[in-house]
Amino acid sequence: MRYGIWIGRTTRLASGALLAGMVGGCIQVRAPEKPIEINLNVKIQQEVVVRLQQDAKDLIQNNPELFPE
Amino acid sequence: MTRSISRTALLAALLGLGALGAAPAFAQDAVISAAKAAGTVGEQADGYLGIKGTVSGDVRSAVDALNIKRRAAYTDLASKRGVTVQDMAAVTGCQTLASRVSQGQIYRIGAGNWQTKGAGAIALPDYCATAAK
Repeated sequence: MRYGIWIGRTTRLASGALLAGMVGGCIQVRAPEKPIEINLNVKIQQEVVVRLQQDAKDLIQNNPELFPE
Repeated sequence: MTRSISRTALLAALLGLGALGAAPAFAQDAVISAAKAAGTVGEQADGYLGIKGTVSGDVRSAVDALNIKRRAAYTDLASKRGVTVQDMAAVTGCQTLASRVSQGQIYRIGAGNWQTKGAGAIALPDYCATAAK
């Protein structure tokens, strides 16, 4: 009987700690991104350009009416 | 009799609607192509069309309308790829400068002056480095 209560307490404590850990982890996840300043003065990371290049090509190819020559 | 008349009217109305829907987009591109050839409208590195100097209301509204459509397309793609609309627009800008500007047409990089494309390729901004034709 006493033993059971002890286990229950420990479990509760442990789950509480786990929950606190999860919440703490969630808050820390977002890493600050490098500032991106755009509009007429464009600054982009090379990695983003590489990743989006094919999308940009496809966009132009598939929507010629948006890119009249 | 009544039935055939209404059917004809319906067909005419549908044709009319179709023409109304298709005509502006077509006319818009024609206006922009003409303005590009005239050197008053050009591609910008930011992925949008820009206007050099003063233009007619027709040209201005065609450019505005097209830029709104472009922004919608950029927004759509950007949300799919998890990037900003500006990034998507600027990467497309690298492509348009590399492949959609003909010799003699104007273009603009950053806040710089409008330039006219010569015989060679446009010197793209550094971040476009890998943007091939």
